[in-house]
Amino acid sequence: MKKFWIVFKKELIDTLRDRRTLLVMVLIPLIVFPLIFKIVTAITTSHVKKTMEKKLVVAYIESRPASGLFDLVREESLFDVQTGLNEEQIKNGIETGELDFGLVVSSGFVAEIEANRPGPLKLYFKGSEEGELAKKRIDKVLDKFEDQVLSERFSRLNMDRSIASGLDITIQDVASMQEKIGEKIGGFVPYLFIIFCFLGSMYPAIDLAAGEKERGTIETLLVTPVSRMTIVFGKFAVVFVAGMASVILGLVGLFFTLKNMGNLPIEFISAFLKGFEPLTIVSVLMLLVPLSVFFAAVLLSISIFAKSFKEAQNMITPLNFVVIIPAMIGMLPGVKLDALTAWIPVLNVSLATKQLMMGDADFTLLAVVYGSLVVLAVAGLFFCGYWFKKESVLFRS
Amino acid sequence: MIEVNQLKKRFSLSRKQKKALHSSSPDNTGPGYAVDGLSFTCQPGRIFTLLGPNGAGKTTTLRIIATMLSPTEGRVAVAGYDTVRESQQVRARIGFLTGATGLYGRLTPCEIIRYYGDLHGMKRSDLEARQKNLFDLLDIWGFADKRVDKLSTGMKQKVSIVRTIIHDPPVVVFDEPTTGLDVITARNIIELIKNCKQQGKTVIFSTHIMGEVSLLADDLAIIHQGRLCYNGDFEAFKKEHRNVSLEDAFIKTVTAEVNS
Repeated sequence: MKKFWIVFKKELIDTLRDRRTLLVMVLIPLIVFPLIFKIVTAITTSHVKKTMEKKLVVAYIESRPASGLFDLVREESLFDVQTGLNEEQIKNGIETGELDFGLVVSSGFVAEIEANRPGPLKLYFKGSEEGELAKKRIDKVLDKFEDQVLSERFSRLNMDRSIASGLDITIQDVASMQEKIGEKIGGFVPYLFIIFCFLGSMYPAIDLAAGEKERGTIETLLVTPVSRMTIVFGKFAVVFVAGMASVILGLVGLFFTLKNMGNLPIEFISAFLKGFEPLTIVSVLMLLVPLSVFFAAVLLSISIFAKSFKEAQNMITPLNFVVIIPAMIGMLPGVKLDALTAWIPVLNVSLATKQLMMGDADFTLLAVVYGSLVVLAVAGLFFCGYWFKKESVLFRS
Repeated sequence: MIEVNQLKKRFSLSRKQKKALHSSSPDNTGPGYAVDGLSFTCQPGRIFTLLGPNGAGKTTTLRIIATMLSPTEGRVAVAGYDTVRESQQVRARIGFLTGATGLYGRLTPCEIIRYYGDLHGMKRSDLEARQKNLFDLLDIWGFADKRVDKLSTGMKQKVSIVRTIIHDPPVVVFDEPTTGLDVITARNIIELIKNCKQQGKTVIFSTHIMGEVSLLADDLAIIHQGRLCYNGDFEAFKKEHRNVSLEDAFIKTVTAEVNS
């Protein structure tokens, strides 16, 4: 055990002095990722705000402005209403970006309204993301106009307005804000943790086995009176710690980023931070421990097999996809932890974390996830030990 | 003392290697031995030299002696301990040095030496005393706290020497220790080998450089294609080939073995 700590301590110091490892293990989760998250959120929020506050250029065609719609449109302070254009000019104007919307009121519009029929109206716009966002503003005006028309219509017919409603629905959403947010973005957080866990382990694993082979230090280590199991477990422990450290630093980074984000709705932040309650964090980290053991064992085994740092990198890079894809599937809406998904490595962690963050954990399924991960981790660890003892692997030529 | 008895080593080949071997020699049904029936003894206080061309099996033999590889057949004993059954005991009594410095670039010489001392289970006071002695001798203190990757090859090799003998091993194995080194650094290694002999250690070193053989060898073993072509006293070998250069004598010996 003493020798294990000697190996562990040395490998840890060596790893912490490696700039590449520090970048991936510390800088990315703790600084780079929160910074990117903050910048992206700030840009998105400012973009949405700009679009909602932007003065929209609306072309309006009505041969005989008698409907009252024109007045409503003109009243909007953030609409720049242009008249005197034809439909072709509206189409071209929207195409070139000179116009945002075109409203064409057909000649029979007033007659149709008066005859208690829907008034035919054409709305021109460009269906981009920005266009859809701006359309909500014009929809608001049109809804207001429709409401006026219907109110006048019902009053003229001496009818109660409620006759048009077949149902009187009272919506009682029992989902807590935490559940809603957990459902919407709960998949994103485990995705990040899984990726950090994998990436954090990657460089130490490559450096501590393939790197040692390349530098020729492995031979000097193998001729010391220390068993190969002790050596490999000392290395393994450092790779595992690096993966977990990366996750914890990612968690810290995310926590402080959210806490300091003024431009997100307060209910969103408070619900999100609820997902960071100590019990939830401990439960999530408990799930990530066997996953990190498994990642460390697999990465170290590959690295032991590789002849050089570059070869190990080439072997491990495609493995990123094997980790990313199930982690991404966990982000998809509707994919839930069940008797089948609980057995699929990585995906099960992603879904279980999502459940834990929603505060809606099924403990039987969590036990299945945990049990399957522990089995996988132990198997990975034993394989790693066996692999390091194989001379055809260690001295592969 | 090192006792090598009927040592054989065969490596399992990958499918690709087997295919390549079969296409170059269709009659070849299986891989040959990297080391094929070697027997020799290295005595304390003498320098045993393994001479052979590249691929002769020198490194494989030394790796088996150092317990990194296990023999396919035969037996090796180091300081009376079997390299397979008592590998830990063997490793506690061995120092191993190659031409590659084999140092951790991000650690300092002090940290590296302490690490290897700890791995050898040395007491802290003994380790510090031994480290001081060797650092003084090789003039290492000036760069003892600098990271190894900032040191010159010569400095690195000095650290490598200390790492090899920090635990004062009775047996020292040198695997082509001067390969790729400049003359001055190589000279340090030669001096180290001589010192080890003076201290009564068992020394085995492999080389393909004739000059080093002349300079150091007490006993000589010539190996070619994993087989022993000569094993005996170096002076006797020189007398036997009095009229020819050492290089010619080596080629003659190897050719005679191949022809037989």
